[in-house]
Amino acid sequence: MNQTANLFGGKSKRDSRARAVFLRRNGPIIMVYAFILLLVIIGITQSERFFTERNLTNVARQSAFLGIVALGQMLVILTAGIDLSVGSLVKVSILVSAIVMNGESGNVLPAIIATLGLGVLVGLIHGFLINELRIAPFIVTLASLVILRGIGLTISSSPVGKASREVMMFYVQKIGPIPVIAWMFFVLIVLTMLLLRYTVFGKYLFAVGGNIEVARLSGVPIKAVRYGVYVLCSLTAAVTGLLWLSRMGVGDPAIGDGIELQTITAVIIGGTSLFGGRASVLGTLGGVLLLGITANLLVMLGVNQFIQGLIQGVIIVAAVALYKQEGD
Amino acid sequence: MSEYILEMRNISKSFAGVQALKEVSIRCKPGLVYGLVGENGAGKSTLMKILAGAYRADAGEIVYKGAIRDQASTAEIIDSGISIIYQELALVRQMSVAENIFLGREPRNRLGILNLGELYDRAGELLKRLGIRLNLRLPVSELTIAQQQLVEIAKALSQNADLIVMDEPSAILAGSELDQLFRIIESLKLQGVTVIYISHRLEEVFRIADEVTILKDGELVATRPIGELDRATLVEFMVGRPLDEVFPQTEHEQGELVLVAEDVSTDTILAGVSLELYAGEILGIAGMVGSGRTELARALFGADPLTGGSIKLAGGGEARWGSPAQAINAGLALVPEDRKTHGLFTALSVRINVTIPILSSLTRLGVLKRAAEEAVVRGAQERLSIVMSSSDQETQFLSGGNQQKVVLAKWLSTDPAVIILDEPTRGVDVGAKFEIYKLMRQLNDRGIAIVMISSELPEIIGMSDRILVMNDGRIAGELAREEAGEARIIELATMGGSEAALT
Ligand SMILES: Nc1ncnc2c1ncn2[C@@H]1O[C@H](COP(=O)(O)OP(=O)(O)OP(=O)(O)O)[C@@H](O)[C@H]1O
Ligand SMILES: [Mg+2]
Repeated sequence: MNQTANLFGGKSKRDSRARAVFLRRNGPIIMVYAFILLLVIIGITQSERFFTERNLTNVARQSAFLGIVALGQMLVILTAGIDLSVGSLVKVSILVSAIVMNGESGNVLPAIIATLGLGVLVGLIHGFLINELRIAPFIVTLASLVILRGIGLTISSSPVGKASREVMMFYVQKIGPIPVIAWMFFVLIVLTMLLLRYTVFGKYLFAVGGNIEVARLSGVPIKAVRYGVYVLCSLTAAVTGLLWLSRMGVGDPAIGDGIELQTITAVIIGGTSLFGGRASVLGTLGGVLLLGITANLLVMLGVNQFIQGLIQGVIIVAAVALYKQEGD
Repeated sequence: MSEYILEMRNISKSFAGVQALKEVSIRCKPGLVYGLVGENGAGKSTLMKILAGAYRADAGEIVYKGAIRDQASTAEIIDSGISIIYQELALVRQMSVAENIFLGREPRNRLGILNLGELYDRAGELLKRLGIRLNLRLPVSELTIAQQQLVEIAKALSQNADLIVMDEPSAILAGSELDQLFRIIESLKLQGVTVIYISHRLEEVFRIADEVTILKDGELVATRPIGELDRATLVEFMVGRPLDEVFPQTEHEQGELVLVAEDVSTDTILAGVSLELYAGEILGIAGMVGSGRTELARALFGADPLTGGSIKLAGGGEARWGSPAQAINAGLALVPEDRKTHGLFTALSVRINVTIPILSSLTRLGVLKRAAEEAVVRGAQERLSIVMSSSDQETQFLSGGNQQKVVLAKWLSTDPAVIILDEPTRGVDVGAKFEIYKLMRQLNDRGIAIVMISSELPEIIGMSDRILVMNDGRIAGELAREEAGEARIIELATMGGSEAALT
C-alpha cells in the first residue's frame, strides 16, 4: 500500500517472497536513487565546484524550498486531486510577509501569522469550491493560480517590503554542517511519513484517493479530508513564501512562478500516481533531489537553459515509463 | 488431429512466491461443457487467464487445435477462437453497449472509418439472436451489473469462438436471465463449441456440465464425468472433507422492533416501500434484477437521499440520515452488491480495507495502533478464512471470493445493530458460504438484525425468517418462512410482467 512503510518495515521478513514484493513496489524508487548517485558521481568527476561544502549546502537548501511544497502537493495528489496554485501562493506569501514585516523585528510574528493565515484561507476556499460546489480540483486551483498571480502583480511589480535582520540571518543559519532550512525539510519529511502511516487522517487520504465512493460508503468524512489536505498544501506554500523572504530579504514578485509544475514533476518521479491512492514520501524526496541535483549540475557544467528544459522533460517521461512497466 | 480441441499440460504458476497453480492438466473435446470448480483462491481464474494469454505460465504447455501454442498476444488468441468472460467485468464504462460488444473489432468502411450504422445493426441482431433485451445506445455505466454481465456474454459470443470460458457468469444472474444463459450454452454445444464453465453454484454445474474438474489450493484434485458425481462427493473434493450443507437456524423468538421504514421513496426506482425489522432476525429481500432491492439497501443506509417517507430507529427518533457516515454511527452497515465499485479499495491493502470504518477507534492520542489494526485483520482472516499472503496485500490480487470476504470483514468490524447484506455470498465457495450463514446466525444470536438481499432462492428460503418480495420498486408481498416456496416467490416477483428493467 505505501512504499515508505516498506522501506522501513521490510526488515522482519527476509524470505524471497517479501523481497520480490519489496522490489516490485520499490524498484522504481531505488532506480531514482541510483540515478541520483550516478549524477553525484558525474558531478564529482566532471566539476571541481560540485562537491564543495558551499555547493552542497546550496543544493540542500534549494531542495528544501521545492521539497516542502512537494510534500503538500503529494498529499493532494494522493487524494486524486491536484494543486496548481502553489506557485502563485508562494508569490503572494513572500509579498504579504515582506510588507507586514517591513524590516522590523517586532513585526516578525504578525507577518508569520498573516502569511500562514493566508495559506489556511486559500486552502479553505479550495476545499469549499471542491466540496460544496463540486468543481474539479484542476479547475479550482487553475483559477486560483491565475487570481493569486494577478493579486501578486497588483500588489507590486517591483520588490516591496523588507525582511527583518533575524529573518535574513535565518537563511544562513546551520546546525552542524547542515542549513536549518534543510533540517526543517527533514523534519517535515518525517512528520509526513508518520502522518501517512500512523494517523487516521493519513489513511483517509489513501481511501479518498483510492475510491471516493467506497470511502463515502465506509463513512469516511470526505469533505473534512479534502478541506484538510488543501489547507495543508496551501500551508506548505505559505511557509515556502516565508523561506523565500528570508533568502531574498525583500518581497520579490518574481518568486514562485513554475513551482506548481516542479512539485508535480517531483511527485510523479517519486512514484505517486496522479490517479490517487498511492504515495511515497521517500519517492517524492528522490524526485526533489533528482530535479535539484540535475539543475545544479547542468549549471555547473555550463549547459544552456533550453537543453536544461529538455533534459527535465526526458526525466519525467522516463520516470513515468518506469512506473508503468513495474506496475503491470 | 486428436479428439481434443484443448489440452493444458502440467501448468504451474506462482505470483511473488504464492503458488497459484501446481502442474494442473485439463483436456477438452469439442461440443462439451466442462465445469471447473474449487474453493476461493483455488486457481480457477488463474488457469483460465493463462489460457487467454492474460498471464504467462511458469511451466507447462498448451496444445490447442492440435498444435503447441507458443506465447501469443491476447488478440491472436481471440482470433484463434478462444474467448473469455472474465469474472471481473471488463467493460469500458463510458462506451455504449454496442460499442463495448465490438470493441477492437469495430466494423469499418473501405476508408477505415468507423461504420456506426453497421455497428448498431450487428449488435442489435446479435442481442436479438441471444434473446437479450437491452438498449444498445446506453453507456454501460447506466446498466445494472447483471445487465453488464449480459453484455459481457454477448461480447464473448460475438467473437464466434470455438472455445468459450465463462468465469462465474451466473454469479450475478438469476431467474430468467440464468435460464437465458443456459439456453445459450445449450445452443453453443449444438454448434460444437466447447464451454468451460466456472461456478460456485453446484446445481448449475450438475445442470449443464458434461465433465467436472476440481482444483484445490492450486492442484488438480479430480476430473470426473458428471454422471459419476453426486453433490456431496463434489463438495468433499472441493473442501477436502465432508460438509453438511444445512442452513443454520435460530431457536429464539422474534426480538424487539429495531427499525421501521415507512413509505420510503427515492428518485431511483423506489416508490413507497415500508418495512419493519426486528432484533435477531433475518429479513430476506427477494425480487428480480432491477426490482429495486439494491436501491432499497442504499436508501436504508443513507447512500441515496430520500424523496419521501421516513426511516426510524426504534430507540431514537426520526433517522433520515443524510449520509452513510451518519448511518454507520446509528449502527447500520451495508455490504454492497458491487464490490469493485462500492465495496473495496482495490489498489489498497487488505488491512486498510478491513479497518477503514473503525480507524478512529484504533488510535491512542491520535496515533494508530498498528498492533490493534493487525489484530482486527487477523481476527477477520480467521473468522472468514480469508486466503491472503499478508495484510499488506492489495485486494485486487485476491481471488474474487476472498475479496467478498474482505468486504464482509470490514462491516463485521464495526459491530453494527443492523446489517444490510446485498448478495452476501456472491462468488463465495460452498464451504465459506456456510461459514457466512453460521456467522449470520451468530450475529442474530447477539441481537443483530440482518436484511439479506439475494438472487439465490435457496439461500433466501433457507436463511430468511421473513421474506419480502420486491417488484418494480414496491413490496409485492411478505411471506413467512413456512409459506415461502420458490414458485410463490417467483410469482410475486414477476406479477404484472416486471421484466421491464431489461428494456
Ligand atoms: N495478479 C496476482 N497477483 C498476486 N496473486 C494473485 C494474482 N492473481 C491471483 N493471485 C493469487 O492466486 C491464487 C488463485 O487465485 P484465482 O483468482 O485463480 O482463484 P479462483 O479459484 O478463481 O478463486 P475465486 O473462486 O475466489 O474466484 C489466490 O491465492 C490469489 O490471491
Ligand atoms: Mg476466480
